[in-house]
Amino acid sequence: MAGMSSKRLQKELTKIQGTLPPGISLVSAPDLREWQMDIAILDNPIYPPSDHYRLRFQFSQSYPIEAPEVVFMAINSNPERKIPLHPHIYSNGIICLDLLDSQGWSPVHNVESICISIQSMLAGNTKAEREFDSIRLLWLDLGGLADC
Amino acid sequence: MSYLAESLKEKGNIAFRNGEFIEAEDYYTQAVQKYSRNPLIFTNRANVRLKLQRWDEAVNDSLKSIEITGPNGQNHKAFYFLAQAQLAMHHPHEALSSALTAYDQVLHPSPTAKISPRDMETFSNFVLRCKKAKFEIRDRDRLRRQGDLRAELEETLDINKQRDLDDVSRRLEARELGPVEASERNQEILSNFEKKIAELRTLFAVADPTNHKPREIPDHLIDMITFEPMHDPVITKNGHSYERATLYEHLKRSPTDPLTRDPLTINDLRNNFGLKAACDAFWESGASEWIADW
Repeated sequence: MAGMSSKRLQKELTKIQGTLPPGISLVSAPDLREWQMDIAILDNPIYPPSDHYRLRFQFSQSYPIEAPEVVFMAINSNPERKIPLHPHIYSNGIICLDLLDSQGWSPVHNVESICISIQSMLAGNTKAEREFDSIRLLWLDLGGLADC
Repeated sequence: MSYLAESLKEKGNIAFRNGEFIEAEDYYTQAVQKYSRNPLIFTNRANVRLKLQRWDEAVNDSLKSIEITGPNGQNHKAFYFLAQAQLAMHHPHEALSSALTAYDQVLHPSPTAKISPRDMETFSNFVLRCKKAKFEIRDRDRLRRQGDLRAELEETLDINKQRDLDDVSRRLEARELGPVEASERNQEILSNFEKKIAELRTLFAVADPTNHKPREIPDHLIDMITFEPMHDPVITKNGHSYERATLYEHLKRSPTDPLTRDPLTINDLRNNFGLKAACDAFWESGASEWIADW
């Protein structure tokens, strides 16, 4: 029911406004349906620690029973935000991460744990490339879904 | 006669779904006059009277419906509507007992019972609301007896809030306000009230940190899915506990353990009586501080 998602998000927001792990920060949460977070990767030369990447979270009424929709956003200026290079991140910002699809999601995850997972997915990366994009285009050509 | 009543009830249901509450109530009243032994007509009229904020009459209708189905008969909806009216009338104690009966009846339904998929979660949430209301009122009472200024100010705010809400109900009845407008006003009143209470508590916490510090609910009493305190915890095979209604909701979507992703079904769950006792003890404890994190 609607009550559950807004209460839980209100509580997550209160917690997030307190403390967050290094490299993760809340940019805005204008309402309880869409939040933006910035993450920085601290120890991987592919991603300079001064670069921040913008994540957009969109929550349905059924959150946290259903996963939120999480994508990277590209912003041209003020401040500039790029889509990080990673084999599992498309150039349009869509992220292939098991915990974000309906099979891998669990309601014990939360915004903070998702940010940490994405952060560590980038921190452990060794290839500054998007090898998935070619596959995705092929899929689209075949009329398939751009799902991983 | 019962046939006529049935068709009037249907007209009432249609009006209700269209948001025409005054018309719906009128149809149900006509239906009751034709045939007064159908508990559903009273249950439906109780529901529409809740929308019209006529709490007293909603209580009467719920009780009438429960009277017809008998003391042990399945009538979870009537108990739920009764609980809502009682809470609105500021009787959290009675409301809690009605809400628990409704919850218990969907947990152990009679074989012919018609239960909506959302009922359990809705009733479970409402039990929690009643517990909070009861806890807060008792806590404030105790503080006020100790001559606590904050409790007195909070009570004044509470009385003002109640007066404003009653005023909306009165104007709704006099048809100066429509039901939609009235419910918007109510939400505004409630959110203003909560803001003022939060502000007041912050002020006291800053001025006198030792006596007015917020209290956190212990983590082991919090459901990991809703982040709310639990009242009916169940335990999984790996030893973690969750609020029954929310875990059922998760299992409907995915029959897996939320932490390990191992297969998990409702039949694998067990009551966690020890934790339930700890939750009950918390609700009974009262606090000299307010709860930071409702």
